[in-house]
Amino acid sequence: MRWDVVAANATYLLEGLRGTVALGLLVMALGTVLGFGVGLARLGRGVLYACATGFVELFRDTPLIMQIFFIFFGLPALGIRLNPFVAAAAAMTFFAAANTAEIVRGAIQSIPRGQWEAARSLGLSPAQSLRWVILPQALRRMLPPMMGLFTTLLKDTSLAAIVNVFELTTAGRRVVERTLASFEIWLVVAALYFLVCYPLSVATQRLERRLVAETA
Amino acid sequence: MPGPAQFWLESLPALLRGALLTLQVSGLSIVLASLLGVAVAACRTAPVPLLRWAGAAYVEVFRNTPLLVQIFFVFFGLPRLGLRLSPFQSGLAALSLYTAAYNAEVFRAGLEAVPRGLREAAAALGLSPWQRFRHVILPLAVRISLPALGNNFVALVKNSSLVSTIGMVELTFVARDLEAWTFRSFEVYGAATLLYLGLVLALAWGLRGVEARTLAYLRPRAR
Repeated sequence: MRWDVVAANATYLLEGLRGTVALGLLVMALGTVLGFGVGLARLGRGVLYACATGFVELFRDTPLIMQIFFIFFGLPALGIRLNPFVAAAAAMTFFAAANTAEIVRGAIQSIPRGQWEAARSLGLSPAQSLRWVILPQALRRMLPPMMGLFTTLLKDTSLAAIVNVFELTTAGRRVVERTLASFEIWLVVAALYFLVCYPLSVATQRLERRLVAETA
Repeated sequence: MPGPAQFWLESLPALLRGALLTLQVSGLSIVLASLLGVAVAACRTAPVPLLRWAGAAYVEVFRNTPLLVQIFFVFFGLPRLGLRLSPFQSGLAALSLYTAAYNAEVFRAGLEAVPRGLREAAAALGLSPWQRFRHVILPLAVRISLPALGNNFVALVKNSSLVSTIGMVELTFVARDLEAWTFRSFEVYGAATLLYLGLVLALAWGLRGVEARTLAYLRPRAR
């Protein structure tokens, strides 16, 4: 074993981890915003509903890696040429948004009908009912699954390595190519991901338990 | 240059061969990940603290690191310890280990959802601890777990695409290969995406059928 390789490349790997966290945060933010829109569209009907449903099914039922390839290699055929970072971030944003949309829709639909009826009979418009009565309750239910999704997204940013975006997995691969210390480096890379993802998982479980205890 | 329709027709056999391997590795992983998942869940609910801790550690480690890194670790890292696996074996191992962690959580919830009274009734009937687990608890836990388990299987089929990165010639690999030869990226990835969509929807449809069958006893019966 050559653990000295790990020590010598520690700063480089940590830089990669910074790239992972930055890409993760970007995708979470954009995906949440887009996902809210798509999720609300899924509650309506007509063209908007059909488009939102198509979007959700397409991005939830195909592998993320295919989506990245499609956007990075496929779209240039239509004249849309994106750099690797933008392509990977876009694919992950769509993937995040499709999953967020289902969480948003599920949470809103889980609020009892009576809440809508009560809000409407108090004279609130549909938009007001959603904003002041339904969403505050639904948001609490969304929180645990959203945090679970964030953990998944953080792990999935590793796929950006396939189109050579600089993040932790790319950093790991470059060090391995240079030093051949594959066992040590991949173990440390895995440990670094764990270090970021595990606290998020624990927080999610705690929150879940607290919400269950509150509603029970 | 042939038109899109002709191109699709020509590349379809190769893509279908890739899809077949995707199905193979996914199918085998479903079996292995289910067996391992039950074992880990049994550990997590065991009355022995050390087993419970080991089960929890397994789940947390495999759920909180990326599958891609696990695949790289198995394929590139383990040979340095003298364990050299082929791309297929590495992919199968990593996919199974990863999915088993998710399955274990589903099975654990299922095991915990089996009413206490049933365990006590089984014990009162004189069944041994193993018989109780095998004939009373597990069948019920598996049925309770089925819907969530189905989601994991669908995720597994999608995740199998990552095995293309270590050179297993499944659907994603074939698509990349075709694209490299023909430069018709839009058509190739479009076709591969549709094939995945077909695989996933077919699996989801099949799983709904299995659920409807095994959970039929829960529905009120017409007299």
